[in-house]
Amino acid sequence: MRYAAALALVLGALPARAQDPLAEEMAKAIRAVRDSAGKSVVAIEVIRGEDPEGETGSGPAGAHKDYYNRPAGPVTGTILSADGFILTTAFNVSGEVKRITVTTPDGRRHEAKRLGADRKLDIALLKIDAKDLPLLPRAKPGEARVGDFVCVIGRGPDPAALTVNQGILSALGRRSGTAVQTDAEVNYGNVGGPLVTMTGEWIGITAHIYPRAMWGQSSGVAFASKNAEIDKVLEDLKKGKDIAKPVQGPWIGVLAGEPRAGVEGVPVDQILPNSPAEEAGLDAGDVIAAVDGKPVKSVEELKAALAKKKIGDEIELTIRRLKRDGKTWEEKKVKIKLAENPN
Amino acid sequence: MRRITLVILGLAGLAARQEGGAIDEAQKRLREVLARVTPAYIFIDGGSGVCISADGWMVTNHHVAGGQKVWPMRFSGGKEGVADLIGWHPLDDVAVLKIRDGKDLPFVPMGDSDAVRVGDPVIAIGNPFNLGAENWEPTISVGIVSAMHVYLDSPGYKDAIQTDTSVNPGNSGGPLITMKGEVVGINGRINPRFMNRVNTGIGYAIPTNQIARFLPHFKAGGRQWGGHLDGVQVGECGDDRFENVGEYGDGTFIHGIDEGCPAEKAGLKEGDILYSIGGQRITNNNRCFGVIGTWPAGSVVPVKAKRWNPAKKAFEGFETKLLLGSVEQMKEYYAQAGNRYYGFTPDYYHEGAGFKVGEVDSGAPGAKAGLKPGDLIMEAGGKRVANWVEFRQEMGARKPGDVVKLKVRRGMEELEPELTLDQRDLSQDQVGQADRRPPKKKDDKKKDDEDDDDAPPKKDEKPK
Repeated sequence: MRYAAALALVLGALPARAQDPLAEEMAKAIRAVRDSAGKSVVAIEVIRGEDPEGETGSGPAGAHKDYYNRPAGPVTGTILSADGFILTTAFNVSGEVKRITVTTPDGRRHEAKRLGADRKLDIALLKIDAKDLPLLPRAKPGEARVGDFVCVIGRGPDPAALTVNQGILSALGRRSGTAVQTDAEVNYGNVGGPLVTMTGEWIGITAHIYPRAMWGQSSGVAFASKNAEIDKVLEDLKKGKDIAKPVQGPWIGVLAGEPRAGVEGVPVDQILPNSPAEEAGLDAGDVIAAVDGKPVKSVEELKAALAKKKIGDEIELTIRRLKRDGKTWEEKKVKIKLAENPN
Repeated sequence: MRRITLVILGLAGLAARQEGGAIDEAQKRLREVLARVTPAYIFIDGGSGVCISADGWMVTNHHVAGGQKVWPMRFSGGKEGVADLIGWHPLDDVAVLKIRDGKDLPFVPMGDSDAVRVGDPVIAIGNPFNLGAENWEPTISVGIVSAMHVYLDSPGYKDAIQTDTSVNPGNSGGPLITMKGEVVGINGRINPRFMNRVNTGIGYAIPTNQIARFLPHFKAGGRQWGGHLDGVQVGECGDDRFENVGEYGDGTFIHGIDEGCPAEKAGLKEGDILYSIGGQRITNNNRCFGVIGTWPAGSVVPVKAKRWNPAKKAFEGFETKLLLGSVEQMKEYYAQAGNRYYGFTPDYYHEGAGFKVGEVDSGAPGAKAGLKPGDLIMEAGGKRVANWVEFRQEMGARKPGDVVKLKVRRGMEELEPELTLDQRDLSQDQVGQADRRPPKKKDDKKKDDEDDDDAPPKKDEKPK
């Protein structure tokens, strides 16, 4: 919505203070989308056991256990069938889940059963006992274009209130073509809700809270798994199948910083929790200088070096680290066991 | 019953968007602009760039492409090419490259960035988090212009466009585009949060009018230099130590002017208030230096000033043309004057602890102490320096002849060179900005101390 008024000004029809047809029409359309598509958006409360690893506090999102740390409050789901199939993100219902309660837009609370999940699309299927639930009309496949106005709908901390965020389609072919990208803001609360056109037609499910964003803070880069991709796995999900991500190659669990002039190697920005890098004692600020004694000068070289290895292999990283006195660098060699990327 | 309600709501939803209505019109327009501009987007080294001419001139950030001469690049969609770094301006964070064998390439023309208004919708094209490397599809985001003519302290964003369009690491060097399909800015900076380098709704772009003024120089090649006020000392309007200096916000107050300098030749005098430079309204010193820095060194710039007429007890305005200091002067400042005191410049793009040495001037104190580009100064005189600003403050508190023990990291080495300070002059960071402070007055010690974050340069030490 933020640019709608301005767009109208550029379109040049009217002086600034006059009634603005685009802004008015856009606001109306957004409310209409909320009122129509919102009928198919549910709030989901997830009761979890204690974090088995005792993880507390904040951390970069997207690492496996962050659902234990996310701020309290419901998440969002999308009604998929009149008889009670509900779709949300796999992330939203991961962990040691004790109970899932779905609040439908009519205010009724339903105990939900978690069926299958697909980590590749970051979706999970729930089932509640209900009937005559309203369904979203679907966007025609292949009609979406980059730049199209879209809305994401979610349930906030107050499950009775719908939130609508507007943006555009930023890209159509992310995550091996299974997802679209939008600059509409997606956070921990509304993720799992639908991404819809300005006429309320369903394009996909918002998913994949991006690991760079702490606690799911929106960076204006969000993804939605396409409904056509969801269709492909739906029958499997109904059968309770848990579809893992395709093996992504060996992973150490660091987010690399931008290359710095004068620094040879790959600077590490963040260490993802529960990653091999964390286990091996790597620290943010370290510089990865070599893999098995072979120097790596860029992220690409590091990736290439890791790609030659297998999951489960133990490799030796040469790390440069500032000593605790903050003055001197030390060079360390650490053994690290490569794992599969959980994201 | 519920179904019926729904159907009605659904119909209402559809009715809100009329076929051919304002939304459709805006949507059509956006699709059309994107179809036109997206092909000119360039992937370069995890960052972004944009092609601005059919024969392959391309603009990006200096912090993206300033580090090497030859770059592999790809257009949106993946078509590969090779670009040569031709001109660069580290202090403005702009680099201009030429794509080899460029012919009939997709490009976005540069528009008039001064015509951009706050609230205008703008499009950013970029490669946030290197997402586009999978299929060479760039990321499009749309927002508005949040502020114009924003002055940020170095490096270089002295007349920036601020936008709430999502701009993230990887968007650097990419274009900010109007709904007319013209590039008006090069996205290059964001304000992060909690050291987490993701967008928070605050992004900055270098305006194209600034780039356009440098373009012939960029194309001619080499390092570029911004303009500076030659031989003029300025202060803020409203400074109560002077009479008739107007009020803060009126402009920049000239409190000193060297004999025979271009400003004097242009008819400016001590006591004048500069309130417009190159057509831009000047409200304070930052704005003055910001605007002047967007002109190449040696430019002739139209200025407007006002002068107190004691007879009429009123200001009278006049216009003139001002010759900005030359490239040679800037180089001289940097090579000798500006660097004489300690003799090296910071690497402005260094993130993390310490002062990272950018350039070291031969024969100056830094070089004598054995400093080299890339050295990281962690301590000066026993005190930790968190960044170059702190280092500069530390140096400002000393005087020529002082010996300062440094702790320096060079790769894995730890060095402790001794720096013997030379004659003080304009701090290098003030070069091109002239002297911002009013001249010291003896009875003004207290006030001067209050606003003094660096020892003020003395007029007679200024290089001619």
